[in-house]
Formats: sequence, structure tokens, C-alpha cells
Amino acid sequence: MLFHNLRIAWKSLKRNRALSILIVTGIALGIAVSTTFATVRHSFAKDPIPTRSGVLYYVRLDSWDPLKPYPGADSTLPPTQVTYRDMTEIMKSDIPSRQGGMFKTALYVFPDAKIGQPFRETIRLCFSDFFPMFDVPFRYGSGWDKKADEGPEPVVVLSDEMNDKLFGGKNSVGKTVRISDRDFRVVGVLADWAPSVKIYDLTQNFIEKPEKIYMPFNFVKPMQLRTFGNSDGWGSSGGLSGFDGFLQSESCWIQMWVELPDKAAVSKYKDFLAAYVLDQKKHGRFQRPVNNRVSTVEEWMRDQRVVPPETTAMLIVSLLFLGVCAVNLVGLLLGKFLARSSEVGVRRALGASRADIFVQHVVECELIGVVGGAIGLALSVGALALLNQWLKTTQLRGDYFHLDIPMVLLSVGLSLAAGLAAGLYPAWRTCRLSPAVHLSLQ
Amino acid sequence: MTGKQKKGKKTMLSMQKIRKVYRTDLIETHALHDISVDVAAGEFVAVMGRSGSGKTTFLNIAGLLDTFDAGNYHLDGQDVSRLSDSEMSRIRNEKIGFIFQSFNLIPDLDVFDNVDVPLRYRRLPARERRERIERSVEMVGLLSRLRHLPAQLSGGQQQRVAIARVLAGEPRLILADEPTGNLDTLMSREVMDQLERINESGTTIVMVTHTPECALRASRQIHLLDGEIVDLDSLPAEGPPEKTAASFAATVP
Repeated sequence: MLFHNLRIAWKSLKRNRALSILIVTGIALGIAVSTTFATVRHSFAKDPIPTRSGVLYYVRLDSWDPLKPYPGADSTLPPTQVTYRDMTEIMKSDIPSRQGGMFKTALYVFPDAKIGQPFRETIRLCFSDFFPMFDVPFRYGSGWDKKADEGPEPVVVLSDEMNDKLFGGKNSVGKTVRISDRDFRVVGVLADWAPSVKIYDLTQNFIEKPEKIYMPFNFVKPMQLRTFGNSDGWGSSGGLSGFDGFLQSESCWIQMWVELPDKAAVSKYKDFLAAYVLDQKKHGRFQRPVNNRVSTVEEWMRDQRVVPPETTAMLIVSLLFLGVCAVNLVGLLLGKFLARSSEVGVRRALGASRADIFVQHVVECELIGVVGGAIGLALSVGALALLNQWLKTTQLRGDYFHLDIPMVLLSVGLSLAAGLAAGLYPAWRTCRLSPAVHLSLQ
Repeated sequence: MTGKQKKGKKTMLSMQKIRKVYRTDLIETHALHDISVDVAAGEFVAVMGRSGSGKTTFLNIAGLLDTFDAGNYHLDGQDVSRLSDSEMSRIRNEKIGFIFQSFNLIPDLDVFDNVDVPLRYRRLPARERRERIERSVEMVGLLSRLRHLPAQLSGGQQQRVAIARVLAGEPRLILADEPTGNLDTLMSREVMDQLERINESGTTIVMVTHTPECALRASRQIHLLDGEIVDLDSLPAEGPPEKTAASFAATVP
């Protein structure tokens, strides 16, 4: 019967083409706008690392000025990063199965003279656990090992793009790259990797692409590397000056992640942090109330307001627009249905119940919704392509907004809902009229 | 007033004191005044009357297309006075066949699909539906036009498709509303021949008509006048001349 009703609905759509085009266009516009803005919001809000987000936690400690809270929209939150001295201390814990602080810097890369001129490149300094923690895919080789962390050994991992630039895309594992005043051996080349947000560092522009070069964190001291990202500081350096003074200062510039396999480990790690802070208080640090955060990926994204509030507002407005489209179509559909009242009368006379007539008309509305939804989806693909083009001019990333399966399913759901919203009342009115009234209207 | 059936046969349609009033905010229109009608199984009854006499209302109530305000109605032995919509739909689908003056074929559907409509609502399996459709369309001589749309058929052919649609459902009762009203004389004769053959096979037919010739081919005539029945069989032979079938019909414009 469903197939039969679909056939009737399709014939009905073809019967009055101008009216059908008008109705379908209304739904298509509503779906295009709502799907586009839903996708924009979803691109920010979706879990950027679904395979790992259940075990990854971002660590924050409130080592800030005792006289005033860390500045920000929410004064209850601690600084977004940790100090170098806190990172080195809390990394002594063996509770996390993996862990690591990280930051980005900028250094000159000296390619082979045949390739081109030296260029300044953003480089991430991290520990070996970074790669498995964030499920980073490799095209060639792998990350470095813990021994290279400790050395530190002069090794690097290149992005696919950097490998293309320096080595023409060939397997460069074992080859050398000169960075600043040192030679680094390539141990791995990443496969194409572009998480929806740069989850491991939400302290700055988090929709930019990941860095193109990764090196062991412990080069921070021998190379005296400072952060190229945010650095928040308030206190003195404890009498030390120069780079050592910077490392011992209360400047917060390191992103700290831990991998905790279960709730028990999370609880144990929180206790460890609390004990660490209480111990530090004895040494005159951490004069603010204990305010440690071991945040899930979702909590960390929420605290950092990864989802711009404008995208939520636009989504609400677009859904309202879809609702207005659907409501405006009620009258058109009612007119369309009543115009073929005599056919309904004949069907009723031949044995169709009210339910049969209702279902037949609802199926027609849903077909309108699906056709309009398909067109709307196509329009949305075009709109997102335009948005990506615009983004490319500002963020050097032209692949940020794209329809994924959840968004396609949402679009289908919205199409069906819009079809239902537009057609429910006309279908109900049509089926409520008595057969005799329908026949008298011919 | 009553429309009496021939004695000794099972009753197909029995209406007792049926009243129908159409109401608006301003006026009440009494369409049927406590009419009682009995039609025996296998009978062929013609219903005649002027425009506005209540013929269509009578046919709508008989076909469970409309409700009534008072009285009792038994169809094929079943009290159908207070049935739910779905029960009435099922009875319409299984027991009643409708033939309309304007054929009422669905313009988008070809002959096959038009005849298929009532069978679809009966949820018959596809093979049985196909067999019934082909058999009934063959009976009306249109098997070669199975995939023609109504617009590609003449009026007479369209009415034959409507008859095939009825035949496919194998109803116990056929309600025909001016079945020859839109046809020329030759086509009218063909359709009446068809109805007679159906009636001879045992199907009860109640036909509203303006045409005396058609009415006289029925076994009994019932006359409606201002919502009341004038049963000529109950009147003396020397009754008023304006009450005879032919003269009554002749008064209809």
C-alpha cells in the first residue's frame, strides 16, 4: 500500500506542476538554510576525536594570582594552560596510561638548496605519547620512542604536506631536516590529518590545520624555545633570570593532556593533583582555593567555547525559517488537496477509510518533503562549498564545513518533519470531510 | 410512506423511518422525511424524482456515504445505523458498488489502475487483483484498453470501466446514480443492458434515474417527492396520471 500511495503522490505532484514546484521550493529553501547552519554548528560541536575522547582529559591547575581570578568570561575557571614547572612535576605520576605537555613554537627550516629558501614554520613540541593519544595517522614510519623523549634525540615527524614540500612526497624516514641550528632525523610522516578542531590545543585558533613538524618536547631547554602560542603570566620568576627564569615562572603556556583508562584512574588522578597542589601551597604557591580541572574533551571544548554562540543563534533562526516555510505551505497543500475533493469522494465510496485517505495524503506530503529535502541538500552542499572558499581566504583551510552522515540524516529528518508539519492539517481536514460532501464538490 | 419490496425474498436493503435534515446556522432543510424502503436481494429498483426530491441523499445514505438523523437501516441483514467510519468503509468496499453519472474515474490512473482502486483497499493479493481486473474489464469488452487513460476513452467506454470497477469488487448491492445521464441513446442502451445482465446474475441494483425508459427496465420504481416516497405499486391503477412513472419522469427538466 505504501508503494501504491507513493505512486499516487508522484502522479499528484506531476498533475499541477506549477503548484508542486512552489511547494517543493518552499521546503527546499527551508531545508537548505537549516541544513547549512546545522552543518556549520556541527562542524564546531562534533567530537573531533570520537575514538579517543572517552579516555583523554585536559589538565588545568589554578596557580594564578591570589589577588584576582584568571581573566575570562567565567571567573571560576583556572588558567587554560599549566606552567612548565607544574607540567614537569605532575608528569612524574604513573597514574595516566599516557600523558604529555605540549606547545607550539616557530623556527626556521633550512631545506636543501635545490628545494628552496629557508622558511619559518610552526612546530609542535610534544612527547612521544602525543601520537597514540590523539590517534595520529602515519603514512611512513611512526612517532619517536620514550628514549628519544628523554635524550632528547634529534628526531622529527613531518606532516604529509611538509614531506611533499621537502622530499617530494617520497618516504623520507631516515633523512635529515635542518631546523634552526640542528639536524633532525625524520622518523615518521603523517598521513592526511585534519581533525575538525585542533583538539590538542584549543587555546588559539582551533580550526587551523595541525602543525607540519613535531619534535621532542625536551628540546625546549637546549634550544631555549619559547611558545609561539598564548602565554599567561602574573608572578615573578623566583629570583632566576633569562630562560631559566621563564621556565620557573608562573607563566602558563603548556597544554597538558593525560590518558586515563577508567573512572577509577580519573578519581585517583584527581586525588594526586589535589595532593600536589596542597604540597605546593606549603611552598607558598597556589594561594587561590584548590581548583583543579581534569576535563573531558567535551568539557574542555565547552569551557573554551569552541562552538561560537552565533552558530547556535543562526541554527535556531534557520529552524524557525524552516518552520515558517512549512506553515506557509499548509494553505497551499490544503487548497491542493481540496481541489481534488471529488477523487477523495470516489476513493471513499470505493472503500477507502478516513485512515486510508489520511495516510495517502501524509505520504504525499512526505514525498514533497523528501523531494524538497533532496533539492535543499544539494543547495546546502553548494552553500557549504562557498563558505569553505571564504574560509580558505581567512584560515588557509578550505575543507572545514562538509556534510557528514549525521548531517545528511538530520536533513532527511528535517525534510520529513517539514513535510509532516506542512501536510498534517490539510491531510486531516481532507480525511474528515464525509464522502458525500467530497462527491458533491465535483 | 414506504417503498415495498416483493414478498418472499431476503431483504438486501431495509430503511425504516429514515430522516435526514441538513442544517446551517440559518436554515434547516428536510431532505428525507421518515422514509421507509425495503429492497429484496436480487431486485432491480429504479428511484425517480425531481431535482431536490432527495434522490441523491437517499443514495448517499443507502451507500453509507452519509449519515442520517433518525431511523434504522439494515443492509444485507446487518444494522448499519451506528457504525464507525472504518466499518462503513469496509462494508462499502465489500458489499456495495457505485456507478456515477459522471463516471468518476480517476484521471491519472489507467483502466487497470482505476479498476484496481477498490481491490487495493480490500488488501487483496496482487495476483487475485490482476485476475479480477482482467476478468471484469473483459466482461465490459475493454480488455484491449487496459492501459488507456480515461481521457483516451469515450463516455460510454468510461462508464463501462466504472461498471468493470464495480464488477471486480463482486458487490452484493450496486447503487447507480444516473448511470446513463451523460451518455447518448446507444451508449445508454449498452449500459442498461450491462446492468440488466449483472442483475440477472443475482446482484441487487438500486438506480437513480431521470429517464423513463431506463426506469421501466427496472423491476420496480420508487418515486421520491420532497423527501417522501411515493410508491406507485401501492396506488390504485386509476391513480393520478402525474404519479405514473413515465409522466412523473416527464416532469423532470
